[in-house]
Amino acid sequence: MVVISKGVSTVPERIIRKKNDFTDDGKRRKNWSMERKKARWGWIFVAPTLLFFMVFSFYPMFNAFYMGLTKKDLLSLNPPKFIGVKNYTYLFKSADFWNSMKDTALFTLGTFLLLLVFSLILAAFIISRKKLKTLLQMLYYSPALLSSVVAALIWLLIFDPRGLANQTLNFICQSPGIDHKWLAASNMLRLSTIIVYFWKYIGYFTIIFVAGIGSIPISIHEAAEIDGASRWQDFWCITFPLIKPTTLLVSVMAMIQCLKTFSTQYLFTTAGAPTKPINVITLNIYNTAIRDHRIGRASAMSMILFLIMIVLTWFQFKISKSDDVTYM
Amino acid sequence: MNNIRISPLRIWDVLIWSFLLVFAMFIIVPLLFMITASIMPATEIMKLPYPWISKTFQWQNYWFGLRGADGSFLFLRNILNSLIVSSTVTFTTVILSALSGYGLAKFKFKGRNMVFIVMMATMMIPFEVIMIPLYMVAMKMRIQNTYLGLILPFLTTAFGVFMMRQFLITFPDEILDAARIDGGGEIFIFNRIVLPNCGPAIATLAILTFRSQWDNLLWPLMVVQSEEMKTIPQYITKYMAETHTDEGIMMAIAVIASIPMFILFSTMSKYFINSTLYSSIKG
Repeated sequence: MVVISKGVSTVPERIIRKKNDFTDDGKRRKNWSMERKKARWGWIFVAPTLLFFMVFSFYPMFNAFYMGLTKKDLLSLNPPKFIGVKNYTYLFKSADFWNSMKDTALFTLGTFLLLLVFSLILAAFIISRKKLKTLLQMLYYSPALLSSVVAALIWLLIFDPRGLANQTLNFICQSPGIDHKWLAASNMLRLSTIIVYFWKYIGYFTIIFVAGIGSIPISIHEAAEIDGASRWQDFWCITFPLIKPTTLLVSVMAMIQCLKTFSTQYLFTTAGAPTKPINVITLNIYNTAIRDHRIGRASAMSMILFLIMIVLTWFQFKISKSDDVTYM
Repeated sequence: MNNIRISPLRIWDVLIWSFLLVFAMFIIVPLLFMITASIMPATEIMKLPYPWISKTFQWQNYWFGLRGADGSFLFLRNILNSLIVSSTVTFTTVILSALSGYGLAKFKFKGRNMVFIVMMATMMIPFEVIMIPLYMVAMKMRIQNTYLGLILPFLTTAFGVFMMRQFLITFPDEILDAARIDGGGEIFIFNRIVLPNCGPAIATLAILTFRSQWDNLLWPLMVVQSEEMKTIPQYITKYMAETHTDEGIMMAIAVIASIPMFILFSTMSKYFINSTLYSSIKG
């Protein structure tokens, strides 16, 4: 073949060719050199991305781990001083750190559960409709197009003492003139950040669930209907077990996103809301590193965040593996 | 008899529709609030109850928003920065993800699975964890307050690679081989055959990447201090902190900041919903 004589012509490869030119059953192997050439091209296509990940993901990861064990001031030119696990022991004794952990836990738990439950319900409802499916999905998705800062800005005005939030709540509760202190009382402030986040991301997860539910073959639902299953039974006994991979995906993604929340809390505190109730861990890392210049301590905190994410993700995979159902 | 069988379903239908509509209200009302408030004088926005349609349309809010409190038109410059950074990152992410996704999906080479696993492992490394070392790198390279500094850590994502790989894995080999036999080089094949056939995947990836960059606040906060190099989210937080006065202008800024995303989404949305977003799950 023409292709064989092209491309490769070094001596060792000629020797290899003699051995490999024939397959086991004695037929002449056709395009082994094409295979080699393809393998080389495979590497060429993959190399830039791989290099990027090495330099901008793995190296910083190891560096973060190392810096967590050192003491370094952001602006000083002195090299970092190795201090072992002192950063971690400091953090575990620090009330500020535990407060951050608590804020992050409350925010993540609240938002995560709301997102998971409501996106599933909404998706199931949307799928059950005959009309306006796409429109509803687009509508629920639209807040995700705004940046988090804009979302926080809008809600900041809504949560204003004279804003829409108080008006609506007072209208529902028939309690005119009461200020619910959305941006002042600790728990209300936490709730406010949860609402902003929930509002922004609910559509995204709903779309994923709609796709997941939509991928179940209709024949299964039809079979259930013939067997006399009610809509309720159909959902709980067929849809719900079969979208488990989607549920896992959504719960892992939602949880990790919630753990990483930053913009909403940052904007709220910049606008004058008290920091303590919403001092989530990312905000704390940012402030420790950039405002207080304590690089080592911030790195230690980010390693703890990383560990929490890994453990929780692993845990979710473990739970979901326990009883797998498929329709194949 | 028909009536008896249908009526419980009817009740369910009504309940479901009302739930969906109430929820739609919850989603829509803040958006409507943003738009209506952006053309209102500040005094009316804080009236009780909120007047949804104002008597006076104050279009100047947009002008004042663009001009800025000190008349420097810094906002325009920051919009430009956001556009430059987001589109560059989107471009590199799409190209690099397509390249490596294609390499992983259509070429057999030693260590391919290892490469794939290593790339996917980076999905587990959140940006928030590595931002401090990255910041130190940026300081060493002296790329603070530059576009390079804003762009460099985000050239591509593991998610993009994964998506393109999943999309291309079903791409028919026969077409590629036919092109090879016709003497097309690998670059040519990638450019002229693979890329043009990735439309939906590229559109989805582009929207997601552009959105996440348009939204990015944390990294610009760290790496950019000079006013001219700030991005939109930074401008908004700064505006909030400095001049928390005119709500109308604030909402006008919010609307301006959101327009590019809505344009991008409405032009590309036909690919977006029900399409490749889901390919990431099937894998």
